[in-house]
Order: sequence, then C-alpha cells, then structure tokens
Amino acid sequence: MDWDEEYELLKAGRLPPPGNASSSRPRRPIDNDDDVQMAGPNVQPEDDDEGKFLGRPDAFPEDEPKDTPLDRLIRHWMNERHCPDILPAQEDLLAHLLDHLRRQSEAVQLLRSDPSTSEDEHMRIMLVQTEIERVKFIVRSYVRTRLFKIERYANFVRTNGEIQTRLTAAERDHALRHAKITDQHFVSSVLQGLPETQSHLDDTPLFVPPMITEPDKSRPVFVHALQRCPRITLPDGAKLEMDKGHISLMPYNIVEQLVARGEVEL
Amino acid sequence: MALPQSLRVSVTPPELELVASQQLVEIVPLIAMEKTAFISGAYGPLRPPNKAKVPLWMAVNLKLKKKCHIVAPEWLNVEFLQERVNLETTQPTFSHLPLRFAEIAKVILDVASNDLDNPDKIRSLLKDLREARQAKSRDGLKELDHSELSLPNLCSMEINEIRPYFVQAMNVLTQLVRNPVPDPLR
Repeated sequence: MDWDEEYELLKAGRLPPPGNASSSRPRRPIDNDDDVQMAGPNVQPEDDDEGKFLGRPDAFPEDEPKDTPLDRLIRHWMNERHCPDILPAQEDLLAHLLDHLRRQSEAVQLLRSDPSTSEDEHMRIMLVQTEIERVKFIVRSYVRTRLFKIERYANFVRTNGEIQTRLTAAERDHALRHAKITDQHFVSSVLQGLPETQSHLDDTPLFVPPMITEPDKSRPVFVHALQRCPRITLPDGAKLEMDKGHISLMPYNIVEQLVARGEVEL
Repeated sequence: MALPQSLRVSVTPPELELVASQQLVEIVPLIAMEKTAFISGAYGPLRPPNKAKVPLWMAVNLKLKKKCHIVAPEWLNVEFLQERVNLETTQPTFSHLPLRFAEIAKVILDVASNDLDNPDKIRSLLKDLREARQAKSRDGLKELDHSELSLPNLCSMEINEIRPYFVQAMNVLTQLVRNPVPDPLR
C-alpha cells in the first residue's frame, strides 16, 4: 500500500485536529513532551543510575534506550511483531512521523529540482533519502503487522468492544467490513447448503476451540526489561522482580500490563 | 495476506540489522557536511579530521562511498572479545555483551574491516563466542517449564534464533498444565 494512502487512511481515522495543529505537536525532530505516549524510559533518573550501578557496572552506553519518535516507533513495531494480541494503536506517533516524512521528501524534491545544489548537497540528499526509505519500511511493516492480526481476528473484533478501543477508526471499519465479506463468502459458497443447525459461524462446541478465533494471551514471549519492574506473579505462584536489562521467557498475559506501560519490550 | 508467512513467527535477521543500525557509532569523516536534520535527529556538522557520532546506517553509507572511516566501538577489539570468550568457556552463565553485538559486528566487519585491527581474529573470536553461547542455550532448554525461564545477557540475534522453538515448546507445556489429561486407567 502506498504510504500516501496510509497517511490518508490514518488522517481519516484520526480525530479532527485542533485549529492550530502545529502548536499542539512540536515539530522538532527530537520530541520529548508528548505525554500521550507511553512513559517508556522517561523515568526518574535515579532508577536508571541505580540499575546501572547495582546490576550492570559495565553497561554499554549504546544499549541505553533512546526516546526519539523513531526509536519509539521501532519499539512499538517490535512489540507488535512478537505479541499475540493487538496492542493499542499509536496514531499520534505515526501521524507525527508521516508528517515528518512528507516534509523531508518535499525538501528533497525541492533541492533536487534546484540546479544550484552543489556536490555536498547531493551527499546530504542521498542520506536523507536513505533515511526516508528506512522509516517508510518500518511504518509499512508496523501497519502490515497490525492489519494481519486484525484480519485474522476480525470476527473477534466485531464482537468485543474492548479490543476496538485499541484500533483506529479506519482499522475498525476495515475489520467489520472484512468480517462481513468473509461471512458472506462462506455462506454463499458452503453454508447455505447445510442444515440450519450447522450453518452458523459462531458455534462454541465442546472440546474444540470456538469458531471465533480469539488472540491467545497465554502464548509465551521473550521479555526484555527496560527498567526495574514491579513484582509480577508467575503461573506457578513464584514472584519475579525484573531489573533493568533482564531477559526472560514467560506467557504474555503476565506482562501485558508492563508492556502497556512501556516498562518492558518484547 | 498482509504479512507474509515467513515473517509471522519472528523477526528476520535483516530486520534486526535495520533496528541495530539505528545505534550511534563514531566516524572520522573525510568530507565536510553541514548539520542536517534527519527524522531520527540532527547530525553533523562533519568537520574532518574531528570525530563525529552518527547512526550506523549513515556510517555504512558514507564508508561505501569512501567518505569516512569507522571507529570500532569499544567492545569490538581482540582483547575484549578474547576475555569474553574465556569467560564464556569457563562459566556456565552467559557473559555480558551489548544487546545487538552480533548485528553491529557483522555490519562493521562487512563494510569496514580495514578500519579494524586484526579483523580475521575478531571474526574467529565472534564465531567461538556464538558457538559457546549456542551450546548454553541448548542446555537452557532443559530448564524450560510452563511458567518462566530467565535468560540473562542473551543478545537479540540469539533470542531470535531460539524464539520459534522455545515459544512453541513453552506453549505446549502450558497447555499440558492447563488441561491435565486424566489418567486413562482410573
């Protein structure tokens, strides 16, 4: 899907922006005051220092989690890839980045068409274009992952209000239409020939998984703690407290809250 | 469908490389460049022969056009890696390495091996490291149970390698615990 269409899709799904949109979202590349975003590593500095001295005296400087919008999107993208459930949509983050992409590509267009650009400029233009391609890839992959999960669980989305709060309006629309079309397809190709009792798509027979596929929250995931986490209870009753940098494998439902708060990444 | 089958279970190594390439490395630029605003931040100005910190993808790009020299990160040298290999072979736990060392090391060795001293020795040390750690992950499989498995100091490429297998194994174990099969003889 062309990223322009993605942008339009997201824009259509977004709430109408306030009148002076540019004041509500700072346009600097490094953006630290969106407080709708997850808290992430923006915690009190003493936590980080404590972790560094007590847990890892020789922590590598490049391993510190960074907080630019792009880094945040990368983290959300990886979380979405590994998670069995659909995570809350990062509409603002995506909109901000798509905006930025658009401005960068316009600037590049301008500079390329201008005959007075020098050789050094070509270097910069080339680097900017490379980065544009990288960011486009990440955005595309993120949207595709979400789309795949939504289409797979379309029936579940239709009947469950809680998961709908995590989708954008455009995604909700798409899920409902997809569910409707697949149902119609099944009915017209197979089910209308079957007897009445067997021609429904939402049975819950015994001993077999229900017909509406639900996301499997007990699927295990690898968890990497970005900061010291509060105690969590494991299925066998033990308690676990994770330090910064701890890596562990556990069922998703245990860490669901931590992922939502941004304290761990998958 | 929206996501091809090969990508559904876990991330691919090239994608991990993409994520790892966001990290900053030091370079010695050979050309001058003004401060430019990129999406991930503003980098530059590049004034040879002063060093500068840029993201790895930018450093690789410049290196391929022969416009910079990459300075190896502090952990990518023979002594450090040798020490880690020794630790790895003597102790049963994983030694502490940067989270994405495999991807960064591969990229730098591919592109800038002439900027490193003794790249062949580094390659063979990395191989030894990888084999030792893989052997330990295989042993770790024995401790897998339905609730939790701690793997301190593992790095992202290794996690990715074992992910499909460990996830599926733990899934099965969880299901077994959740639905214990009643004894057929009773």
